[in-house]
Amino acid sequence: MSNVLAIQGLTYKRNQKLILKNIDLTLETGKIVGLLGENGAGKTTLMRLITGSAQGSGDIMVGDTTTATARKAHVSFSEQLHGFNKNTKISRVVDFYQTVYSDFDLSRYHELADFLQLNGELKLLALSKGMREKLIIALTLARQTDLYLLDEPFGGIDSMSRKKIISSIIQWKPDNATMLISDHYVTEIAPILDEIVVVKDQTIAVHQKTDTIRSESGMDIEDYYESLYAGGVDHD
Amino acid sequence: MKFDDKIPIYYQIKNYLYHEMLTGTLNPGDKLPAVRQLAVDLTVNVNTVQRALSEMITEGTIESQRGKGNFVTADTTRLAQLKEQLVMTQLAQVYEQLHALNLTDEEIIASLKRYIEQKGAGQNV
Repeated sequence: MSNVLAIQGLTYKRNQKLILKNIDLTLETGKIVGLLGENGAGKTTLMRLITGSAQGSGDIMVGDTTTATARKAHVSFSEQLHGFNKNTKISRVVDFYQTVYSDFDLSRYHELADFLQLNGELKLLALSKGMREKLIIALTLARQTDLYLLDEPFGGIDSMSRKKIISSIIQWKPDNATMLISDHYVTEIAPILDEIVVVKDQTIAVHQKTDTIRSESGMDIEDYYESLYAGGVDHD
Repeated sequence: MKFDDKIPIYYQIKNYLYHEMLTGTLNPGDKLPAVRQLAVDLTVNVNTVQRALSEMITEGTIESQRGKGNFVTADTTRLAQLKEQLVMTQLAQVYEQLHALNLTDEEIIASLKRYIEQKGAGQNV
């Protein structure tokens, strides 16, 4: 199986402070991978390094491209819409995405928007937290690319919105694309994950298949994840 | 459907499909839903569904027809074997647990009979 992402010896410092060190991470095509770690562990930073919007030392290869600008074209990252004025209508945001990203597929967006019940006439300021996350998911998945990075798509939203988002991930992830989803609470997404990657102590502490964890440890994924912090599980 | 997150999901998908096949929701020769549809219905990963189906194809409980999809085997002997296997698996658990309580084989049979009689009596009320 080929790889969609290969990171070697990645180290990142911010204001002299070491945030991530010696990260090696390879993801195969077609997987859904959970990126876990405490708040501030560096999950978002790792995603920003992959997209090229942060620069560290080491090698990051997405598909067969290594430069930051070329990588951007192969990665769809769940941007938080901070750059848009609050009075912007959803339909204007969609226009913007269509202009900026050549792989943005409008018919795909409309399918997603119908499924998630997004009304294009609404302004950003009128959106509930759940609605806003749905819009971000629809925009991110409407791009046709190899690697999707979803940064905490379930933060503080109601369970119905969460279920809808999980369902749209299953339905719209292209077969050959890989998706990395960060979260600090894994139970809600555990059934859809092929693998988990845990960021701890500035590096990748664990990268393992979820069904291997279940069959070898007999633990659910949340308990296994928590056991890493209690220091109770041997992982090599 | 709800999964037990301590048990490999592919294994639970297999058991779910076995149940559908043995209770008649899916009959011999019936077409299974498409892989992605099953993934959506069960809220699981497409790859995990694929793994469950691959194992079932290998063991002969479902058959893959190129370009058409997956079908429950029409081989009723194979399905009867499957049922026997599932019954034995369930009984093995009960047997182990009762044996652990120091019941002899005879006592286990007697308890099971008593249980069924009492359960029947309860239902007749």
